[in-house]
Amino acid sequence: MVQKSVCVREVADRSIVAEQLTRTFDELVAVDAVDLQVASGEIFGFLGPNGAGKSTLVRVLTTILAPTQGRAMVAGHDVARAGAAVRCAIGVALQDVGLDGLMTAQELLILQGRVFGMPSGEARDNAVRLLETVGLADVDPRKRVRDYSGGMKRRLDLALALVHRPGILFLDEPTTGLDPVSRAAIWEEVRRLNRDDGVTIFLTTQYLEEADRLAGHVAIIDKGRIVAEGTPTELKREIGNESVTLTFADNATAGRAAGVLATMGERRQQAGDELVVYFSSAGGVVAEVVRRLDEAGVPLQGLALSQPSLDDVFLRATGVRLSDADETDHDATDAASDGSAAGRPAGDRGGAS
Amino acid sequence: MTDVLLLVKRSLRVVLRQPAAIIPSVAISVFFLFVYNSGLSSVADLPGFQGSYLAFILPVAIVSAAVSGAGLAGQELIRDIESGYFTKLLLTPTARLSLVWGPMIAAATLLVAQVVLIIGIALLLGLDPATGVPGLLAVLFFAFVWGMAFAGYSVLMALKTKNAAAAQAATFAFFPLIFLSTTFVPEEYITAEWLKWAAAINPTTYVFEAMRSLLIEGWQTGPLLIGLAVVVGFASLTGGLALRAAYKETQLTR
Repeated sequence: MVQKSVCVREVADRSIVAEQLTRTFDELVAVDAVDLQVASGEIFGFLGPNGAGKSTLVRVLTTILAPTQGRAMVAGHDVARAGAAVRCAIGVALQDVGLDGLMTAQELLILQGRVFGMPSGEARDNAVRLLETVGLADVDPRKRVRDYSGGMKRRLDLALALVHRPGILFLDEPTTGLDPVSRAAIWEEVRRLNRDDGVTIFLTTQYLEEADRLAGHVAIIDKGRIVAEGTPTELKREIGNESVTLTFADNATAGRAAGVLATMGERRQQAGDELVVYFSSAGGVVAEVVRRLDEAGVPLQGLALSQPSLDDVFLRATGVRLSDADETDHDATDAASDGSAAGRPAGDRGGAS
Repeated sequence: MTDVLLLVKRSLRVVLRQPAAIIPSVAISVFFLFVYNSGLSSVADLPGFQGSYLAFILPVAIVSAAVSGAGLAGQELIRDIESGYFTKLLLTPTARLSLVWGPMIAAATLLVAQVVLIIGIALLLGLDPATGVPGLLAVLFFAFVWGMAFAGYSVLMALKTKNAAAAQAATFAFFPLIFLSTTFVPEEYITAEWLKWAAAINPTTYVFEAMRSLLIEGWQTGPLLIGLAVVVGFASLTGGLALRAAYKETQLTR
């Protein structure tokens, strides 16, 4: 039986460490021997498509799911052995918000403060402050949460995660399904918490742009395994400084092109009817690429020059694009193309074909 | 302990915001009281019957209220599991014990309020309890613990099935318990051997006996102690199983 522990405020250790962490569900290995190190005060982005194991990992790290094998320490406490101590140190906003629709925002925030050991006066003041922080101060206080919009619920859920001023914040896909304005607001709040309060932030996302913009470190997870890890810059640099993405009529043509261009660039990667060639500097070689394809009689449909994105990193690690790995989720597809749009405007493709 | 109180308060608050969840259970027990009292009261004219039939049937109304009303605990828990709020509470340092006992105590407390109402109606109908007000308080105590027992069972079913309809059906499975007992007539009038036998092994019988001894005969150590042992034992059993289920389910589910 877990004893009610009085949470010690100001936890010095704000790190997350996982060693060979594994979680299985019957036959399915949802999280497969994951090693992780997140330093205090870092924003760590965990990127992967739906079903890659992100949520399961978050649930294990936040003590609501026991690891099958391996070990994880959060804020210096073992998640499997010292659950209550871990829960004192962390704030969690899961992918599905957990709100009682029959209660009001204030009631939820006050109760949350109370179960984290605040006296009722403090819990009340804290609730008022947090409603301001997340921009819900103007909402009718008698309004029940079931009448809130999706974006409002998400913001309230974030406020609930912040009630006890946690040193580590877990955000499981905090912006999935949000409109761009709400998304930007959440990003700003995440940055502020990290900058002003030194909160370690463990963020999972299927949006490349989100990981790229927010996270100091990124790990890419696919089928339960970490397939790449580093700073976004490092990860992209490993691939090459620039890339040329060539589009063909079909997969077979792209395959022929890969043969034709076999000696060009530092690396080549085919994904369906696309072929990406990575260069240390692509500036002068575009004409050469087009000429060789033309000589070999391989019809080119589109060409785009870009800086490698995290999507390219994902492609290299898994052999598929993050945007293709999750075709059922339109939000993810949209965001993934947004993420790389800066370096690869749609107009470039049309212009070159 | 503070956590349990906080969660009891919260459960009561949200249950009271759903009158539709409480009214049927109140209505059923009042129905029992009126219908059986007016329809079967001539039983009291049988030779050897002690006291009024109203005092005899009142425990049936109370126990049936426990069976239908305590199901609220499980339904509230399922509502929380479905909304994700249960997970939110799991992510706090709150002991798992509070998460299970919160809705149980809330349901048992509501049951007590309901029983106060039923007893009030019975007093208006002319109930004259042998042990006076202290005896009525003892009846409330029995109702509370018996309510905890059923609330524990409904919480257990809620955690096992995670399905409101299934949990509700599971609590109805206990309705036969009320009737396979000395429900409408004292034991000595039961002629069927199988029913005598069923009544003897049915824990409900001992709850009826304890309450009736208070209402009809006066302070009697025997039935009270047996009744107390039965309700406390039953509540510990279901409460313990519910707690075990809470530990198990929260570690194995996705």
